Amino acid sequence: MRLSVEHGSFSYRPDAPVLKDVSFAAGPGDLVAILGPNGAGKTTLLRCMMGFLRWSSGRSLLDEKDIRTIPHRKLWQALAYVPQAKGAAVAYTVEEMVLLGRASRCGYLGQPSREDLKEARQVMERLGLTALAKRRCTELSGGQLQMVLIARALAARPQVLILDEPESNLDFRNQLLVLDTLSELAREGLTCLFNTHYPAHALQRANRSLLLGADGETRFGDTAQVVTEANLQSAFGVRAVIGEIETPYRMVRDVVPLEAADGSAALTAEDGRAIAVVAIITTDYEEAGQINALLHTCKPYIVGRMGMPYPDGGVFIINVTLDAPETVVRCLVGQLERLPGVSVKTTFARPEQERGGTDRGQPGTAAQAP
Amino acid sequence: MRRAARVGGLSPQAAVVLCLLPVAAALVSLCIGRMGLPLGEVLRGIGAALGLDVTLGDQTEQILWTIRMPRILLALLVGAGLSVSGCAFQSLFANPLATPDTLGVASGASFGAALALLMGWHLLGVQALALVCGMGAVALTWLSVAGRDRTNSTVILAGIMVGSWFSALVSLVKLAADTESQLPAITYWLMGSFNSAGYSSLALGAPPILLGMLVLYLLRWRLNILPLSEDEARASGTDVRLLRGVTVLCATAITASCVSMCGQVGWVGLLVPHMCRMKFGNNHLALVPASACVGAAFLAAVDTLARSISSAQIPVSALTAVIGAPFFIALVRKTGGWRL
Repeated sequence: MRLSVEHGSFSYRPDAPVLKDVSFAAGPGDLVAILGPNGAGKTTLLRCMMGFLRWSSGRSLLDEKDIRTIPHRKLWQALAYVPQAKGAAVAYTVEEMVLLGRASRCGYLGQPSREDLKEARQVMERLGLTALAKRRCTELSGGQLQMVLIARALAARPQVLILDEPESNLDFRNQLLVLDTLSELAREGLTCLFNTHYPAHALQRANRSLLLGADGETRFGDTAQVVTEANLQSAFGVRAVIGEIETPYRMVRDVVPLEAADGSAALTAEDGRAIAVVAIITTDYEEAGQINALLHTCKPYIVGRMGMPYPDGGVFIINVTLDAPETVVRCLVGQLERLPGVSVKTTFARPEQERGGTDRGQPGTAAQAP
Repeated sequence: MRRAARVGGLSPQAAVVLCLLPVAAALVSLCIGRMGLPLGEVLRGIGAALGLDVTLGDQTEQILWTIRMPRILLALLVGAGLSVSGCAFQSLFANPLATPDTLGVASGASFGAALALLMGWHLLGVQALALVCGMGAVALTWLSVAGRDRTNSTVILAGIMVGSWFSALVSLVKLAADTESQLPAITYWLMGSFNSAGYSSLALGAPPILLGMLVLYLLRWRLNILPLSEDEARASGTDVRLLRGVTVLCATAITASCVSMCGQVGWVGLLVPHMCRMKFGNNHLALVPASACVGAAFLAAVDTLARSISSAQIPVSALTAVIGAPFFIALVRKTGGWRL
């Protein structure tokens, strides 16, 4: 099922909008991470999306139908919500708790049937909760409780799963278990959306990401294009590097925060202005057109430009000099890197206060090659 | 046909024991009193009532059917009713300290009764006005938080305020009452007693209690949704506002009707659900029927004690606390208590 939000805006008070014109969509198999600093409205977004709060304007759609027009029970058979496991659980046994997930499929005066129990037990089996069936939820660890809540949501056989910070407050292993579960569910064709405080989790797991900035600006798209160093800096006010760690089995992308930085400063053109040379080599002549299109979007910032085919080497070389806000440069580079067969290197001129003696390179060069 | 999956429900053995509990309590209570009756006599009396050919002394019949039976029925009914409504309120507010009186219903009903006694109304009039005022108090509580962000604590606070407002009104009524006749009547009524039990009073008071309990019984699995957080409850596909409204209405009708018949019988609504939670867990599938049975048996037993240990009848609510509190504490110590 496809869950989308169209131009959603929300404010608790008229003068202080929390969410401004948020639009995104997620379909079957999508695992969408919702990122943003504290107070950016991640939880508010989830609550608006599911109809717990009313959008001030805009709407949420489930398969192109406004969720407000979908009958309550019908809606919650398709949609399931996993709250944060904050230890405020009711002392039901695990089995009773998971069985409550079938509530949307039971009659109002009814009780869960044997089929309901079978479904619940299947989900528990799958998430490794069978041994805990008779334990009380109040006696569980945070990781176990989070799994129980996920199981409860899955017991309803939903097509869209929405989770509020499912891996917060969990240790390494439990974070991994929860994230693995999400990845697996998405692979099976569920539409999953989750709030998270960890950009790394978005990078590693989500195919699409929604980044909420403190200023109300939102970015949505493929994770690789949304979770970039520049975007993280402007949204979180943190200078971070995104890199890859090589393991024997695969490459893992990770984010390392370096220092708190003024996120808004990076956006105001005058302050964060950087002069940079971007060197591009592509092995694919066909890509040249796309590279040009990307460069065109930065046209006002381009100071100089040189293009040179080198047929003997089978490559095309482009050199661009930009005088632009750093974010613009990084964004451009990020997009270029994602083109197949393209290598990019960026060289920044040293900021003014550092020119003249000091030998520190930062943020002098930040070279990345795919 | 969907067959029920008995998870968290009562086991058959437990169900049988729980059903027999009030019956046993009633039988024993029928035997005990100022004039003791042997069990055989009581059973013969019941047989006679069922149309069997048994002869029974006039006096025995009088004691059994006119004096003891209505009183025992009342105690069973009130015990079951208060326990179920206490259980519902605790879940509704996700608060183990909630009682049937949390929304001010008992204070409201007390005011109604005191006012009616002041005006010298007939017993049925007292009962009717108590019922109306009890429901009115809860409506007032509910209205006073309407339209606002209705969190559990604001509702409970409003309930306490409305309750204390009505308590103050009761004091004013007492002040205005005639110290010779009306004041003792009001005071005695407020202490809670099953003295006034009669079939006509039962006929007026029983339907709201039975109806309320029936609805809560039917909703028992759905009641499990109530203690969950607001968002979780809504995400279960349940119309939470409707469920809350129905629960409050039922629990209030039960409590108001109980108070209108026998005054404030404290403690039962707190004590019995807690005991049942410790024994049967928090699943309402088991909790609702268990609370009803245990509550009925408990109050019938306590009332029998109240009317038989001394010639001056002891107010029931004093006894429920005197017996219940230590018992409860012992149980908490043994089981480690429970968490909602």
